[in-house]
Amino acid sequence: MKTLLLGMGNPILCDDAVGVRLAQDFKKKLNQKPDLDIVEECSVGGLNLLDLFKGYDRAIVLDSFHTTGGVPGDWYYFTASALCETIHLTNIHDTNFATALALGKTMGMALPELSNILIFGVEIKENTTFSESMSPELEESYPRYSSDILEEIEALLQSDVADAFPPRRASGCSSYYSAVRHSQS
Amino acid sequence: MTRTIKIDPITRLEGHGKIDIFLNDDGSVKDCFFQIPELRGFERFVVGRPIEELPRIVTRICGVCPASHHMASAKAVDGCFGNEVAPVAHKLRDMYYHAHFIHSHIAHFYALAAPDFVCGPDADPAVRNILGVVSKVGIEIGKQVIGARAMAQKIQQILGGRTTHLVWCLPGGVSKGLTKEELEEIKPMVKELSGFADFSLQLFRDVVLGNKAYVDLILHGPYTLDVQNMGLVDENNAPNFYDGNVRVVDFQGKEIVKYKPAEYFDHVAEHVESWTYLKFPYLKKRGWKGFKEGIDSSIYCATPLARLNVADRMATPRAQQAYEEMFATVGGHPCKALLANHWARLVEIVQNVEMLERYCADPEITSDKYRVVPKQITGTGIGIVEAMRGTLTHHYTCDKNGICTSANLIVGTTNNNAPIQMVTKKVAQALIAPGKEPGQAILNMIEMAFRAFDPCYSCATHSLPGEMPLDVHIYRGGELVRRIRR
Repeated sequence: MKTLLLGMGNPILCDDAVGVRLAQDFKKKLNQKPDLDIVEECSVGGLNLLDLFKGYDRAIVLDSFHTTGGVPGDWYYFTASALCETIHLTNIHDTNFATALALGKTMGMALPELSNILIFGVEIKENTTFSESMSPELEESYPRYSSDILEEIEALLQSDVADAFPPRRASGCSSYYSAVRHSQS
Repeated sequence: MTRTIKIDPITRLEGHGKIDIFLNDDGSVKDCFFQIPELRGFERFVVGRPIEELPRIVTRICGVCPASHHMASAKAVDGCFGNEVAPVAHKLRDMYYHAHFIHSHIAHFYALAAPDFVCGPDADPAVRNILGVVSKVGIEIGKQVIGARAMAQKIQQILGGRTTHLVWCLPGGVSKGLTKEELEEIKPMVKELSGFADFSLQLFRDVVLGNKAYVDLILHGPYTLDVQNMGLVDENNAPNFYDGNVRVVDFQGKEIVKYKPAEYFDHVAEHVESWTYLKFPYLKKRGWKGFKEGIDSSIYCATPLARLNVADRMATPRAQQAYEEMFATVGGHPCKALLANHWARLVEIVQNVEMLERYCADPEITSDKYRVVPKQITGTGIGIVEAMRGTLTHHYTCDKNGICTSANLIVGTTNNNAPIQMVTKKVAQALIAPGKEPGQAILNMIEMAFRAFDPCYSCATHSLPGEMPLDVHIYRGGELVRRIRR
């Protein structure tokens, strides 16, 4: 199963960098895995994602997540299937993630199934101020959540089926996209 | 007593915009405020870094128009090093930028503008999107759209090595030239894009101009503003996206000023309001006069339509035909109908394609003299380009060692902040009246207003799901009585 591991975020926008940093760290540990390509930094969305996902059977996306009342360092996971409800015209410049994928499928592009696009999102604190450093809260908890997420990804990569999802660490559901959230407590 | 209607994004993605509408007792709109977040600290972030690194850093400001920032930054850095640039480098940068415009305008027109017209402004949001467009016009056309966009992207990749985070422009030129083999690879794609530009204009004629209700909406709806226009022009007052002088023309067609990029500080100032972080640029010599329309207003638009409004002509023949057709249809030049921005983007694509054709036929374009190594540091540089969504200014200073000491940016969307405020209020006033409660339609009607500007709020571009949901709150006497959300 040809897999793409994608770090999303802006490396100079404080906590927004977390997906990029995870991908960079995971690359050192996963580089020898067969059929795995790693794109450490991606900060595009919409139709541009089609170009990235084209030709892969599975995609694993690492991104930041900012929710009301969220605790920095908590992390969520869900598949792109959960994003189907967001297919409509509210993006500012481009299509949203789900719409771009649906369009690509309609056009007959070779894209991963929605259930094979696996998204890990780390709850962040600050993403509006330019900085090369993450917030202290996110930095402090980095070893824990990066280790947890890496463990889940390694398990996923051993399986060729999407049934490996949701991950074994599932500890409860948040209200967002029926995502599974893993908290620090 | 004032009532408040609040249109607020669902907070699963925090930090996005909201619209507060304040009503009078009789139910009419008293005022309207559109607030969006601004990413902070970039000017401070770059101080102390080698000035030549800035074109590579600024592409991280925004995932939507990284090439615009790269180009404006490169020109500002050229200035800091004495402005000696290899002539073919200017051509290569311009060539890249035309492909970037095509790529961006296609995405905006087909993914965001077309759904309102092909599916209809009142269509269910579940079908009013690019998927709905494809289901109406057919998969084959959808494939053409995807294909054309990909070709524009490919041309950028061939020229600059990358499409998003460019590391191509250097002080005095670019880091790689264009080989003859690469040029031959580009030529057939330009030919395809030329056909696609014609196709898109014809689609606009058929779908939009062929529907009287749509034409009325464009010309006679609430989407008009009596404000001035700004855009870059060449020596013939034709639009130029990469270089030129800034021209400001009022909505009756009279030139207010034309200035060189280095003089921008004499002509543009930024007003601050206490209720938003985002500033409001205005024409400095006229002074800030508030959010007022009129021939003396100091507020201007910097959009595709504004660029055509400040232009006396287009730079290429087929674009000139498209320009003449557009202004003949909308009642003359200049045009105040903001929804005509969608048409203006298609006219611009024609010029973009024709310019690519010119460069493909230019024997100098494959020259290997694509960089002049700077010999001096002069300390100040100002670079202005047209981002797809408005005039973009980068102004840097550096010390004698080339270390950045200050940076000031006026980005495309910021130019349009005041007009967006004003048209949002106008639409709200049209939809909300005594005895007329706003329904679900207000969401899209207001979105159509700011969508015409193709605003770029970069925080929305890479986050999942990458959208800006709206939530309407209606207050009576401070109490929430109704909520309309999507």
